[in-house]
Amino acid sequence: MDKITTKDMANIIDIMADIIIENEVHFCKMDSAAGDGDFGMSLAKGFKQLKKDWDELDFDDIGAFLKSCSMVIMEYCGGASGPIWGSGFRGAAKSAKGKEEIGLSELAEMMQAAVESIQKTGERSFGVGAKVGDKTLIDALAPAADSLTASAEAGEELLPAMKKAAQAAVQGAEKTKEIPARLGRAGTVGDRSIGHPDAGAYGVGVIFTGIVERLSK
Amino acid sequence: MKKIINTPENVVIEMCKGIAKAHPEVEFIEKFKVIKKKEIDQNKVTLISGGGSGHEPAHAGFVGKGMLDAAVCGDVFASPSIKQVYTAIGKTESKKGTLLIVKNYSGDCMNFNEAAELAREDDIEIEAVYVNDDIAVKDSLYTVGRRGVAGTIFVHKIAGAAAEAGKSLAEVKAVAEKTINNVRSIGFALTSCTVPAQGTPTFELGEDEMEYGVGIHGEPGRQRMKIKSADELAKTMVGQIDEELELKDQELAVIINGFGGTPLQELYLLNNSVSNEIEQKGGKIYKTLVGNFMTSLDMAGASVTILKLDDELKGYLDAEAKTPALKI
Repeated sequence: MDKITTKDMANIIDIMADIIIENEVHFCKMDSAAGDGDFGMSLAKGFKQLKKDWDELDFDDIGAFLKSCSMVIMEYCGGASGPIWGSGFRGAAKSAKGKEEIGLSELAEMMQAAVESIQKTGERSFGVGAKVGDKTLIDALAPAADSLTASAEAGEELLPAMKKAAQAAVQGAEKTKEIPARLGRAGTVGDRSIGHPDAGAYGVGVIFTGIVERLSK
Repeated sequence: MKKIINTPENVVIEMCKGIAKAHPEVEFIEKFKVIKKKEIDQNKVTLISGGGSGHEPAHAGFVGKGMLDAAVCGDVFASPSIKQVYTAIGKTESKKGTLLIVKNYSGDCMNFNEAAELAREDDIEIEAVYVNDDIAVKDSLYTVGRRGVAGTIFVHKIAGAAAEAGKSLAEVKAVAEKTINNVRSIGFALTSCTVPAQGTPTFELGEDEMEYGVGIHGEPGRQRMKIKSADELAKTMVGQIDEELELKDQELAVIINGFGGTPLQELYLLNNSVSNEIEQKGGKIYKTLVGNFMTSLDMAGASVTILKLDDELKGYLDAEAKTPALKI
């Protein structure tokens, strides 16, 4: 595999939805230590709907597909997950607009665009977008995107690069254990969140790892 | 779990239908879970609020003359989506612009702000205010800040009266922010609430325990303690609000708000204790509301909200309001 086609992307998102649904309760438990415990449920609600509406999604190209996903996710993921994950997908969609296949460097650009789009959504609501170290899902997503960018520059193969990116996400999530939450719902408990990873960052690590494992089979 | 219910999935929709049937001056847009006034006044700033359900009568019960034009209802304790809020904005547009009254939670802020952004692209004039009256949560530059709780009712009432008086969007926003800056609340729970979809209490409390500084979603409070008398509770709560607002020689409006599972008898009793405590601090009570305004499903417990008044706020507080849950 050296390119991702629209069909491959649909497969990846389908795997992603399965992982999210399988981990619904697990992600809620990760969130209840410091957050309000609804992360798994909110996220799964949107991705269950995505699977339900699957045949109505737009499969014209990767951009169109991800954009149609973003509309469902934005509408059906509960709480803050709708705007956050919806804008991530929207940003990625814009970056892959009109493309029927992408290589590693375009995948890296797409992931960077997703990070940026989420940060802009946060900025519009709170005056400042989350950076690495704020104990949000950006702590896993940004290192994964950076890892893809570095791999693309080094001319690495697609699947090994994705594996590295998943590892970067897991490591990024692990680091959030050591810091107090400042943004998001867990932001109200501050220091009491030390010792627990951010549920969003942790979730990104689990999702990326699962995608790479299943693609490698 | 013992609840008057058909299925947990339909709780919010069936409740909203019930509201519309009891109050024919409002209508329910089922697809987007929006309760709105049937007639939108084109020459008045439109006021929209909303949030997760489970806080009834907030917010749908405050739709009506002198308060809100629409309330957007999310699932139990979950913010409504961008599309729901955006639809409410479109369906209630007036010539004078729209003010969103948002309780300060990340999910609500993001969904309401993104919807406002979409509405601006449609050339709708729109502003938002964020209510953050709960002093149980420590406010600092590094956190998301305090939560919005029962003080939101005063913001609905005062901004609603200003809008009804024909004020501009900027003026209505300014008076809403003045209210937010002068209102503080603190609450306690005697029992947990039970979310219908979950069916079991969110937290456990012993027979002789209470949770002090609790939020309105069953999230943990500031501290768990042995149950206290009404007078002791009033002393602690009024004392903490006094530290923030300095009540001495001020004219004040008070809400004794039940969380849903506490009888009015106990709320009025608490009001007696709170009033005595406020007077001891030298505060002058101008107006008091006692009842269930911002609930947490079936949680037993109450919150105290105090608003510091000036002549402008007093005038708007006294103006006519005709809504299902508040008539003045």
